[in-house]
Amino acid sequence: MSVAAGGGAAKIDKTKLMMYGLGGGVLGIYLAHVLNEVTGTTYFSFLAGLGVIAAVVMGADATRRVCSYGIGTGVPSIGLMAMGMGLVAAMFGLSIGGVAGPIIGIAVSMGFGYFVGLLTNRIIKMNIPVMEETLMTLGGAGAIVLIGLGVMVSGVIDYRTIIGNVIDTGYIAIIFIAGSLAILHPFNANLGPDETQDRTLIHAVSAGALAMFATGLASLETIGSEGIISMIVAAIVWLVFFRRFFELVKRDSAGVKGTGLLPEGGL
Amino acid sequence: MDMVSMGLLAAMGALATVAGASEDLESDVGSQSNPNSQVQLAAQVGHPHRIYNKAISGEPPSNALYAALAAVTASVLMSGYGMNAFFAIAIGAVVAAIFNGIFSVTAYMGRNTSQARFNQYVYLDVLRTHTTAIMAHAYITAFCVVSISYIMTAPWLPIQHPFPFPLVALIWGLAIGAIGSSTGDVHYGGEREFQNYIFGAGLNAANSGDIVTKAEAGLRSSIDNVWFCARFGGPVTGMAFGLTVFLDNWRTTIFDPATQGWYAVLTGIVIVILFIVYNRILEIRARKRYGPYPEYKGDIEA
Repeated sequence: MSVAAGGGAAKIDKTKLMMYGLGGGVLGIYLAHVLNEVTGTTYFSFLAGLGVIAAVVMGADATRRVCSYGIGTGVPSIGLMAMGMGLVAAMFGLSIGGVAGPIIGIAVSMGFGYFVGLLTNRIIKMNIPVMEETLMTLGGAGAIVLIGLGVMVSGVIDYRTIIGNVIDTGYIAIIFIAGSLAILHPFNANLGPDETQDRTLIHAVSAGALAMFATGLASLETIGSEGIISMIVAAIVWLVFFRRFFELVKRDSAGVKGTGLLPEGGL
Repeated sequence: MDMVSMGLLAAMGALATVAGASEDLESDVGSQSNPNSQVQLAAQVGHPHRIYNKAISGEPPSNALYAALAAVTASVLMSGYGMNAFFAIAIGAVVAAIFNGIFSVTAYMGRNTSQARFNQYVYLDVLRTHTTAIMAHAYITAFCVVSISYIMTAPWLPIQHPFPFPLVALIWGLAIGAIGSSTGDVHYGGEREFQNYIFGAGLNAANSGDIVTKAEAGLRSSIDNVWFCARFGGPVTGMAFGLTVFLDNWRTTIFDPATQGWYAVLTGIVIVILFIVYNRILEIRARKRYGPYPEYKGDIEA
């Protein structure tokens, strides 16, 4: 695939990434809920954060695919739109579905994304082939990120607890914006003709870990000192994947220089 | 209207002015937002450079992140651990500055790496020298924005905005990013990156990416650019954001929104009209004085 803004061909198939993202996200959210309920603690809330990282990777790949087309808007708009769709659907799902809320929220958000994609292609006539599919994926990723980080702050899948801990306290602010940046930043930061999928996705893991860390800070007040586990896990994930990102920068760049003048032809 | 409210209003205006200036300069050190597209294009049109390429996102989302993160950290420290507001906000701003540093580094590395075919290197000394300057400006911005949000929401102060503290900070973060992007960027993008073109000439599409990469001595760095922008672009952004915060809160301080809401709305409309008239006069004077704006001579036949 040779495209305007994005770089080389995708090494990892989008269907596989979607499976990992959706599966990992849902698994993380439910494992956190079940283990917390069974043990009567909130030690396992960090698992929801790990699920969020899986969804962020899926969302970053969708951003990469749709933004490679030069859609006439900045990359950030797409990430914020994903979270916008996810926020409405996630709250709707949680409010009517009880424990099944996350599944309903994710499904509604994906349907929402598909519908928005249809509108942009059929009504506005943008005619971008991947629009429906990528907006559907982004909607799903947005919903998982919001629900996952919400469960991380609350410890359980419960609408009233999430409203009390996330909305009333205002911590939705950091969940929304850190989640958006985790989805939009990896492709935005790696944009260019020599962008590679593995570098962008490794970066997505580290950006997802940053969102997890920021939300872990908020959970220190709601679930107490157990929130520190989320922060430590996030810090380790970030450190490992930032180092891998730097390795890929060294692999892909024209040269990583300690210092120096411009290359030949630059002066 | 009482003296405490007016004092708080003045403090918010002052904090907003400082925040506006530091926000614009923070984006200028890193070439974020609008001027970034030209830095991005430069290598592609044959001008590799040593200018920082901080493509975190647009300014509004990234500043919203710093403000929200600083506010959440401060909120946790205050309500969870009983810390004094001043220290809590300061620590929150440190956390925001660290996040800013991380995002800046990954953006610089990622963008320059993705231009390998144009021989654009990743210079580690640029990262070392510039990232700290970016973080320092981000710290000031986050501290001021979160202080404004705290003044608006603190239960022991008179304003008591109904939204929670982190959400107010998020909204102010978005606002300062938008104002910094629209006001200050012109000075950096139009006048610094393209200072080798005639003032006021506009940017011909054919000249895109042809930015100045050499300095008065040696190669141009983003520290040179922020030095230039600190003369006018930064302060004028500070004034824009300071006036926005001050005038917007002033009209609801002198007129009680509960009983005199319509007076506040009318005052707002009058302020907007005054600014439109003032801007128009300023534009006409600038056109006359600084030109050149040659008259339109009609289309040239092919």
